[in-house]
This record gives sequence, structure tokens and C-alpha cells, in this order.
Amino acid sequence: MKNSFVILLKSPKFMIGAILFLLMLALVLIYPQINRKDPLEMIALAFQPPDANLWLGSDNFGRDLFLELMYGIQTSIRVGLIAGVFATVIGLIIGLASGYIGGIVDNILTAITNIFIVIPSFVILILISVSINSRSSLVTAIIIGITSWPWTARAVRAQTTSLRGRDHVHIAKISGHSTPKIIVFEILPYIASYVVMAFVLQTASGILSEASISMLGLGPYNTISLGIIMNWALVFEAPVAGAWWAFIPAALSIALITFSLYMMNTGMDEIFNPKIRS
Amino acid sequence: MNGGILMKLKLASKPLVALFMAAVLFAGCESVQPPSATEPPKTQEENKTPADTSTKEPAKEPAAESAKGDAKETPRNETLYINGLQWGAPTNFNLLSGNSAFPISYGSSRELVYETLFMINELNGALEPLLGTKYEWKDDTLHVELNKDAKWSDGQPFTSDDVVYTYQLGKKYDINWSSYWAYISEVTADGANAVNIKLNKDNPNKLTVLDSIEIIPMLPKHMWEEIEKKANNDLTAIRKEVNADPVGTGPYKMYFYNDQKITIVRDDNYWGQSLFGKLPAPKYITHVIYKDNAAGDLAFKSGQVDVSQQFIPQVWNMWKNGAPIKTYLKDAPYYVPGSMPSIIFNMSKKGIDNVDVRRAIAMSIDYKKISDLAMSGYSAAMEPSLTLNTEAESKYVDKDAIKSLQWTTDVKAANDLLDKIGAKKGKDGIRVLNGTRLGPFDVECPYGWSDWNAALEIVAQSAKAIGIEIRTKFPEAPVWTNDLQTGKFDIIMNTPAGGVNPSQPWSRAHDIMYSKKVAPIGEMAFWNWGRYKNDKADQIIDQIPTISDEAQLKSLYTELTKIWLTDIPSVPLMYRPWLFHTVNESVWKGFPVEGDGSNIPPQIAMDGAGIRALYQIHN
Repeated sequence: MKNSFVILLKSPKFMIGAILFLLMLALVLIYPQINRKDPLEMIALAFQPPDANLWLGSDNFGRDLFLELMYGIQTSIRVGLIAGVFATVIGLIIGLASGYIGGIVDNILTAITNIFIVIPSFVILILISVSINSRSSLVTAIIIGITSWPWTARAVRAQTTSLRGRDHVHIAKISGHSTPKIIVFEILPYIASYVVMAFVLQTASGILSEASISMLGLGPYNTISLGIIMNWALVFEAPVAGAWWAFIPAALSIALITFSLYMMNTGMDEIFNPKIRS
Repeated sequence: MNGGILMKLKLASKPLVALFMAAVLFAGCESVQPPSATEPPKTQEENKTPADTSTKEPAKEPAAESAKGDAKETPRNETLYINGLQWGAPTNFNLLSGNSAFPISYGSSRELVYETLFMINELNGALEPLLGTKYEWKDDTLHVELNKDAKWSDGQPFTSDDVVYTYQLGKKYDINWSSYWAYISEVTADGANAVNIKLNKDNPNKLTVLDSIEIIPMLPKHMWEEIEKKANNDLTAIRKEVNADPVGTGPYKMYFYNDQKITIVRDDNYWGQSLFGKLPAPKYITHVIYKDNAAGDLAFKSGQVDVSQQFIPQVWNMWKNGAPIKTYLKDAPYYVPGSMPSIIFNMSKKGIDNVDVRRAIAMSIDYKKISDLAMSGYSAAMEPSLTLNTEAESKYVDKDAIKSLQWTTDVKAANDLLDKIGAKKGKDGIRVLNGTRLGPFDVECPYGWSDWNAALEIVAQSAKAIGIEIRTKFPEAPVWTNDLQTGKFDIIMNTPAGGVNPSQPWSRAHDIMYSKKVAPIGEMAFWNWGRYKNDKADQIIDQIPTISDEAQLKSLYTELTKIWLTDIPSVPLMYRPWLFHTVNESVWKGFPVEGDGSNIPPQIAMDGAGIRALYQIHN
């Protein structure tokens, strides 16, 4: 484990992604400590262009967009991480169970997974978001998490199935280890790198999903996220008003975050995936 | 399920496209059932079906005109273009359908094809003669004289039979004007050219009966009787009638429509030449159906549209470069106010059941900011009252008498008031009153109603400054409607009685304060959503419609307004124009403006008395 981490540090792609991500995280965590104003306070006129005071201008409510962006990135990353954790954990449990136990359990779990893959998760996401009454960023994150696990489950199942027939698993079985123990100690370590990569990808897609759903006006209430910033820009026709600052920085931030996460993922892939390892 | 749509949805890269597809998906789920003759379709489905089909022409298109080719282009200098009244493809021109398209839709562009008895003038509230020449109350009966010259576009004379028939339709079927029958006991012909409308003794409300003579469009008995017969007097069957070539008394007839535009053509035999002295100037009127507000604004700015009934943000930018674009008022607020979108308090919610808390919230709100940010400054300074600050309404209230009760934005005074009643701030900065934390209170309005969304964001932000936590909640519109009617809200935004009509400001006061016949929380209520109760207010609201003496009315309205200002069951957030009347004079010139002496109201040149503008404009 430690060894692979050292190898990772030598991957330029992973390092670029990680540094970019950490820099951004540092900025959005530190800046609000310096500028302690309420990001929701309406201090200026609507759609004021950027100047020395308002670095990214103001939005339709006359709020400081730079400050909003800081809080927005925080929320978006948090939502992405929570969604990523949920998606990965659910996918991992279902994939491991179905791959290792096999038989009828495998059939049932695979069927469920396939159903979830066939129905686009975004539709489910919209339907759930429309129907629930209280929408906090945590609820949104959980909904995103529980609609985006199927691909992880499938990949984990495939790997587990192939691992199940290996010698060291057989030996563990003969030695009388319990099923959970075998899964945790004999199977999980071999797919750990894949799980980490899946988690990074799920986080990135969680951020995108949050942005998409918020842009439809179905995101969390009473908070700021990148999707919500863009939603207000859209509702108030910022593109028509020529107020590029109301949506371009938010869109760019989403692009940057997901880009950095994908870079990390690609870097890891090149190291852990035997097929493309150089 | 609907595989094709799901595939498309997956391909959709942009969230907006996805939303549209989702909407299609929901609609698709409804309409997959095969059409059946026995099952009455819902109006919404009816709405959808024709949208999928392509170009349609009126079935009874006159032969001479159908030779002109498909697009039906009309000469620019003979055509008046309008936008903002019709979104989406027209489905039918049948007033009884409940979803008829421009220019037939109920309560808007009223005098083009079908006409009303009288034309409402939003400037002074007057009812100007049209099909009716004069009206007067004889005890509990409204006697209306009809214009002898009036004729239907097919040449038949317009008579009292048509009026009686049209009113009766509302009694027979559940349609737009059925509600007036709660106040009317009977409508009878008084000879060929007069009718008598008799008040309902149990519910004698002269004001709403007056509303009916300026809003109910007159339908030709000889045409609709046939349609009724064909449909076997079954409303669902009548609703299916497209009525592609409506016969009305108005100056225009249907010319062409498809899913991109609707064009009407002048009827050169229009009877009203004797009333107006001439024919309206534009030979054609075309409503182009734009994709969204932005597309409509762009077309208007470039002179492709002459009259716009769209909300145009920062309208002054439109004429900054010298473009001949005008609003009725030369300066802010640019538009004539017509309604008061308000927040309504749930009177049984712990915390806001305290009148001082409500007063503090009212004083904390930054109304100027709401006007600037949500309404582009189109709302004049807030002077809380049950009446609008217009010639038509302000005469009913003694301004000096209510002055001491009116609130203005004053955060310090609001904080002092809360301190005085012993609401101390907790550790989180939110006040606690007698053990009740002041918040979180949800304040609610539908998602996407951008000016309202913005107003409520400002309310929430304003309340923070006085230690009250208010959270915004923007659900889908049907959820909001349900919450409103069943009273499941803390604070909710709505416009009490939005129309401009003779029953104002009575109907506004009624919708805010009248507690009789209001269902308890949990059941549907159609006014007084916050379940406010004050016996004195009920009594005054009962009394006003029976009185015609202006001085007495003024004292009653003043007293009612004082009760409202003392109890604060609602807080108006902004003044909203009834119609966003903005004109581009690149092609047509001479639209009415404030102070031109014409007394033509800014009613988009085609609604109520606003139609008189059509006789004044020129190339």
C-alpha cells in the first residue's frame, strides 16, 4: 500500500491533478476565513461587472460572486465527496456480495444492478428531487449517491468473480476463515486500487450531477453551490444581459475540479491497471 | 415505458435539454394511452396533442385567402406584431375549452375577435361602452342597454338573446365565468336591445356583477347552439371543438395560424365603425410564438415586434441608443401598477402568530431592493395599504388617517420592537420569544417565477438582520398551489385578487381578510390562505358591495385598511404592472403615453379600453 503511494507520487498526471485539487481546496477553505462576510448579503446592484472591490462582479441579487464562488465550490466538493462515498460503499457491498457469494444471490443482485444501469440515473434523480419536500445539500448528496452506484457494483463484481477462484482464496477457505474475513483480507486488498479510482470518479460525477440538478432548480435550498449559482444566472437571463461573470467562473470551477479529479484517476489508472501500465 | 424518449434523454448533454426531455417524458407517460372517445381527456392532454402535429390552417379558411401561399406573409407596414400573450403552439380558439389561444384567451386581448359589453380602463377604472351603451342599477337589477348597430362578423345582428345565452352558458357548464352565477340570480332579455341582470338575494354583490360585464366575451347564440347540439350538451365534447374560424363581433377575424404564429385580419365590415368613427389602423395583427422571453425581447428590440407584453429587464436600456421604444410612463416605474404580490402569514404558526413579530418582519424588508433587483425598478415606493396608488383606487382611502400605521423599511425600529416584546437573541443570533425560536420559517413560491424568487431571497436576507430566520423554498408550482390552499405553510407568496376590474380594491381586501366560508387548515381555501379572522373586517367586507355612496365607501375602506395595517395578515412586497405594455415605434407610431390627453390605457393596444390605441396609431 505504502509502496503504491510512493509510485503514485512519481506519476506526473496524478500529481498535477492532486496539486490542482488541493490548491483549490485550500483557496476555498482559507479565503472565507479572511473575508468573513455573509456570502448571501446583497451588497451591490444586479450584474455589476468585475472591479477592484468585486473581483468577479455581482450576481442577479447583487451578491459578491467571488465570495459566493468560494462557498459554492466548498458545497459542491462536499456534495461530491458524500455522493462519492455513498456510491462507492453501496457499489462495493453489492459488487462484493454478488461476486463472491455467486449463485442465486449473484443473479438477483446483478439483475437489480442492470435495472439501475438501464434506467438513466439522472431521471431517477430528477424524480426523487421533485418528490421530496426538504432538500438540504446532504439529502441531495445522498440521492446522487444512491443513484450512481451501479457501474462500481458491476466492475467490483467482475473483479471479485475472478479473484474468487484464486489459490489464496481457496487456501483461506480451507483454513476455515469466515466469509466476511475472506472478503476483507483476501479480496478487498486486490481491488483496493480500483475502489479508490472509482471513488475519485464517483466524486467527480457527483459534483457534475449536483450542478446539473441544481441548474434545473432541483438542487438544495438555502445554500450556495456551483449549480445553484448557474441556475440563478440562467433564471435571470445573465447570458442575455451579457453578464458572463455570473456563470463562466462557476462553470470553469466545475470544469477545473472534475479535470483535476480525472487527472488523478488517469494517473492512478496508468499505475494500477496492468493493461496500460508502462 | 417509453424507450425512445429515454434514449434521447441519455443523449441529452445539457441539463436544460434534459429538463425538457423530462417534461416530454412526463407528458409522454400520460398520453401513451390510445385516444378513446368515451374517456374524457384532461385539458392538459388536450393542450399537448396539437403541439406535436405540424402546421394547421383554419378549417373554414376563405378560398380567396388560401391562395396566397403557405407562410401567409403579410406586409410589414400593414401588420401589428405582438408578443408575450401566447407561449407554445395554439391548440384551439374555443373559449369554453379553458385553454384557448390568442386572441381568444379569457381575460386577455379581450376586444379583438369576441367583444365584451364594456371595456375596462385601467387608468381610472371606468367602464367604456362597446357592445353595451350604458348600464344602471335599478334596485337589485343591473339594466344594460345594447348597441343597436352591433353585428356578428357573419352579418347576423347582435341582440339581447346572445347576451342571455352567453351568461347562461356559465350557469349550464363549469367554465370561466361560472363563478359570477354565485352573485346573479337571473339574466333576462328586456326587448331586443337591453338585458337585465338580477342580483342573487343571498349574495348581493354589485361589484362582481359589474366585473362580469367587462370580462365575459359575448358568443353568438346561433353558432354555439349548433356546437352544443352536435356535442349533445356535453361540456367535454364541446371543449374538443377547435373553433378555427371564430365568429365574433370584434374588428378582426382569424386569418392564419400554425405553431409559430397566429395572424388575424381586419373585418372591413366591422360594425364598430359607427362607434369609433373608423376602422382600426393595422390590417393584420400577428402574434409570433417565441421560444422564451429572451427570444421575444430580442425580436422586440430589433423592431420585429411592435407591442410587447413581456417582462423586459432594464427596459431603459432598450431606448438608450435612440431606438424608438417607449413605455407608458416616461420614467420609473415605467409601468402602471395593477396588483400587489404579497407574503401571507399563517396566522396559526407559532412565532408569527405574534403581531409584533409580523410588524418587525414587515419593517425589516428592503422594498427598494426588491423593486430594483426583482422588478428592474418597475415597482414604485411601497406605501402599504389595501389600495393601489392609482387614480382608480387611491380615492377610497384617507391617506392621512392611515399614515401613522403604515410601515417603512427601518431595521433599527424593527430590532427595537423585538427587544421591547422580550425576544432575546440566542447564541446563534436568532431571537427566542417566550421559548419559541423565531425561525426557521419557510417562505414559499413556485420555482422559476424569477421576480418572486428574488423578492423572497431578499425577504430572507432582510429578516436575518433582525434575528429572525426565514428560509426560502421554491417547489414546483402545483406543490405551491396545494400548500397555499390547504394552509400548509409558514409564510407564502401570492397575489391577492390580481385583476384590474370594478370590484377592486374590495376583491383584494376580500382575498386577504374575509374569513367566512374559509375551510380550516388542511382543507382547500380559495382566499384568506393564512386563515386570518376578524369579525369587524368580515362585517365591513360584507357591507361594502351593497353601498354606492362614495364618501361612505371611503370611510369603510379606510377603516378596513386600518384593521389590516394593525393586524398585518399580509405584507405587500411590490407593485406589479397588470400588463407589461412596451411599444416599439419603428413601424407603428402614436401609441398612447402618459399625459397625451387621450386617456387610452396602456393595455397592449388590444385589451379592454386599450384597443382604442388601434384607431390612433399610424405608419
